[in-house]
Amino acid sequence: MIEDNILVWKFNRGSKDALRQIYEKFKDDLLGLAITLLRDRSLAEDVVHDVFVSFGGTVGSFHLSGSLKGYLSTCVANSARDRNRLRSAWLAGPDVVETACYDSDGPIENAIGIEKSGELQDLLARLPYEQREIIVLHLHHDMRFREIARALGISINTVQSRYRYGLDKLRSIINSMVTK
Amino acid sequence: MRPKENIEEFVKVRKPDVTTSRKMDKRTLEDSLAAMEQTIQAKSADHKPSTARIITLSRMIKFTAAAAVIIAGISFFIAHQGPGEQDDTIIVAEVTESPAEIMTMKSLTIAYRRGGIEGIENQCEKALKILGPQPVSLSLEDLFNGSKS
Repeated sequence: MIEDNILVWKFNRGSKDALRQIYEKFKDDLLGLAITLLRDRSLAEDVVHDVFVSFGGTVGSFHLSGSLKGYLSTCVANSARDRNRLRSAWLAGPDVVETACYDSDGPIENAIGIEKSGELQDLLARLPYEQREIIVLHLHHDMRFREIARALGISINTVQSRYRYGLDKLRSIINSMVTK
Repeated sequence: MRPKENIEEFVKVRKPDVTTSRKMDKRTLEDSLAAMEQTIQAKSADHKPSTARIITLSRMIKFTAAAAVIIAGISFFIAHQGPGEQDDTIIVAEVTESPAEIMTMKSLTIAYRRGGIEGIENQCEKALKILGPQPVSLSLEDLFNGSKS
């Protein structure tokens, strides 16, 4: 946190090295978030690119109120949502993903098998975008519900209910895969 | 069905492990550094030093500027009002010495400066008292040239 504040302080004074360090520190996490939300690496790279270009443009006037990671994650989530809307308008349908069926002892073990084959993202992709976004921001990016609510401009109750419904749906998806 | 915590833990520990490509790093860094440079240049062009900006920088400069303005104001007042008062007193003295000149343009102007229309009216009344009622035959030229009635 202190390290981030120092980086932001240097960045605001025009340090290119600080911007490089910020990018290096968060690039993989942010790309992972964008890929989880968009399910498209190319689009995800564009989102991270755009977020950092916008961030670079705020030099001298950037004010950090929370964590830098939280701020950048929110920017990526917002940008990804815009891209997703555009894409949905073009495709006119949700991103349906075929999921493989695994024989295992239980849903969690089954899911581990799915994850091992690189298809955990497919499970998350079956959730509505709004629920997926909140689950990923909370569980992968350590953002509190209050932070997410403020960043997305919605009430904390909405965030909590979307999170809860998302987890329930994820659980039911895993269970249905077991019963197959 | 597994408890909620299991699902949370399941999602949490399996965070996607992705890395950016060199191509993406190069493109993103170049563009974001260019955006940064552009903003710095735009800001440095906008931030030309202005007097008002310098004054608002610190409290000390604010007080100094305020004091300078007050001193300048007082100096201006003394420079313009002080000698004027002296001139007026001289003219008033002259007027009292020569009652006929009480209605000259100069004395009327001074009266107007001091009291506006009321000042002129007072001046006229004073002139009337000093000079007294004038005969109809008295011309304005005689009146303003200081005719001794």
